[in-house]
Amino acid sequence: MIWEVFRQEQAGEYHTHCGNVHAPDREMALTFAQIQHGRRKPTHSLWVVPQPEVSEVDDEAATFGGTTDKSYRWVMPYNRVDPEFAEEIAESEAEQRDADEQRSEG
Amino acid sequence: MDLDTVKERAGPREFGPGDDMPEEYRKAATRMIQFHANSEIMGAYLEKPFIRQSPSLDRKLAFSAKTQDEIGHGQLLYRAAESLGVKTREQMLDELAAGEGKFLNCFHYPMTEWQETPMIAFFVDGAAMRRQATLKRTSWEPYAHAMDKICFEEGFHIKHGEDIMRELATGSKRGQELLQEAFEEWWPRILQFFGPTDDDSTHHDFSADVGLKRMGNDELRQAFLNAYIPKAEKYGLEIPEKPRIVEEDGTYEVIEEDLDWEEFFTVAKNEYPSGREQINGRKEAQEAVAWVRKSLDDWEHAGTAGASTQRAAD
Amino acid sequence: MAASTERNERDGRLGGPDELSEREQAAVETLCYRLADDELVLGERYTEWQVRAPTLESDLALSNIAQDEFGHARLWYDLLEDFGYTEADLIFERDPGAFRHATLVELPFEKGDWADAIVRSYLYDAAEHLRLEALENSSYPRLADRVRKVLSEERYHREHARNWLERLTAGAEGRERVQSAADRLFPHALALFEPVGESDADVDALGLRTESLDSMREQWLDTVLPFLSSLGIDAAPELCEGTDVESLLPESVGRDGSHTDAWPELHAEMTRTYRDLGRTEARRIMSDPDDAE
Repeated sequence: MIWEVFRQEQAGEYHTHCGNVHAPDREMALTFAQIQHGRRKPTHSLWVVPQPEVSEVDDEAATFGGTTDKSYRWVMPYNRVDPEFAEEIAESEAEQRDADEQRSEG
Repeated sequence: MDLDTVKERAGPREFGPGDDMPEEYRKAATRMIQFHANSEIMGAYLEKPFIRQSPSLDRKLAFSAKTQDEIGHGQLLYRAAESLGVKTREQMLDELAAGEGKFLNCFHYPMTEWQETPMIAFFVDGAAMRRQATLKRTSWEPYAHAMDKICFEEGFHIKHGEDIMRELATGSKRGQELLQEAFEEWWPRILQFFGPTDDDSTHHDFSADVGLKRMGNDELRQAFLNAYIPKAEKYGLEIPEKPRIVEEDGTYEVIEEDLDWEEFFTVAKNEYPSGREQINGRKEAQEAVAWVRKSLDDWEHAGTAGASTQRAAD
Repeated sequence: MAASTERNERDGRLGGPDELSEREQAAVETLCYRLADDELVLGERYTEWQVRAPTLESDLALSNIAQDEFGHARLWYDLLEDFGYTEADLIFERDPGAFRHATLVELPFEKGDWADAIVRSYLYDAAEHLRLEALENSSYPRLADRVRKVLSEERYHREHARNWLERLTAGAEGRERVQSAADRLFPHALALFEPVGESDADVDALGLRTESLDSMREQWLDTVLPFLSSLGIDAAPELCEGTDVESLLPESVGRDGSHTDAWPELHAEMTRTYRDLGRTEARRIMSDPDDAE
């Protein structure tokens, strides 16, 4: 049986997918995963999930975020106001601009 | 884990579902996150009519997206609260419907006019955002993760709110007057957002000791006033004479005895009439679709859910 | 005549908005009003479910569908703006009797009637799919250019509706509610295929649309009836008994400007702020669709 492995590098961060292992059960999957996927990269925690339990939808089947203009849900078109008056708003603006750039590059 | 260890280790994102947390921690965190989640839902309830009343198609889209985001924030927060193992989401939503769930003071008041929308979408959301930014460093990791996404999205909400305010403030005389009226009505409630001042500025409550809260209400209120009073003035809003506000070197202090704290505590207990009405309105909506949730539960328990997931993945 | 010569010189394609004959422009307008009004009013009704959907996740999904519909309305109204109309003319200051959407999209929801939302969406999106496919090779390039983006968003809408229908009809109560919604909505869904007026014939004659309304209705019936029947829902038993489709139509069909009482009420609510604030224009936030990207 194949188990998908998710690694969290440090406490508080996100578990992200890093690979998989063959193992006969959950316990053995954890035993193997810590060596195969945790022996070198910094690791705080690992999750294992049976592969058949993972379902997928990809960008062939779906239009994540839509195909028509959805800029109304982003900070960018509200350019008549300035977010710099509060650092948390400016930070949110910067994160959204980054995400939008990554989207258009993708 | 014993309480002393929790207090010792209480750093940002330090604890998660894998940790054996003491009951005091789990209960305090649940109370705090549930309050936050309830507020998202009741805020959305208040703003929803303005999707329909938006005076342009673009505004309608923005209002729909904002309301959608608030419900999405509720989803994230109830999940973060559920991960403490104290209550399920269903329990928390039922408590909200039964008038037992608490939420932000501002969402107990009715909002019927367009010119009122920036009071929530700019000032109240701005105050909430100030607090939320500090909660990215809360000690309950799932709460911090919810906060990452919420803060990411929230910039749009505040800018959208400010844009509506700007449009009114720079538009017709009548629009300006209506905006000023709405501001005068909402301003005292907005000032009460962070609650009354702590008696002792070094006062630390349990939530702060275990790292759930990262900044006291006094400090947050101060940061909010310093950023948002100049904004209000920039748009030509006149700050009402009462409650009195004292300015010194760009920092502001509210004279608290000018605010109606009896009303504040009535609101906090879910006993304010319009608040009760809003709670009941949402309750009716929740009950009207109970049959759908039951259909989904039946489907899930009939064992067809897994098969269908599989089919979707094929 | 000059115009049709013009059209032939372009391999059957019409020119830009400034180059159309009066007859061509009337046909383009007819088509765009059908599209835009349907999407606007359906989106408006969907938003009633925001903060009122059965679960938080289903709330998010339907809100998104509502926004998709508004976004599509925006694209079609923009094509009408080519002819000098403004958003204020097209939505906020327009007489409700001038709207051309089918009555299916204007009917209010009874409290808690999620089955209505799903059945309505299913019936509408199946028709919408056919309608958009019939526009992919439209003779009006401005229209054809926008179809693909809209089509790919509509796919989610159809999946969403089908997934829900399968689950709702698995139990007795849900099946009953779906059946009742289908009974009530089916006649109004047939109104989707009604002509707006004489200019609708020109929509076909000028190649703006590559399938006639009658042909699309047949295809639609061939799609929705078997699917609903597979779920134990009998949508239009009269049709099997050889009853004429026309006789099933509701009293008001919308397309010809006749509406149910629910529509002027809804329009009044939608335009309330605009009127109260004495607005004369509808403020834009986003870029013009031609400048986006």
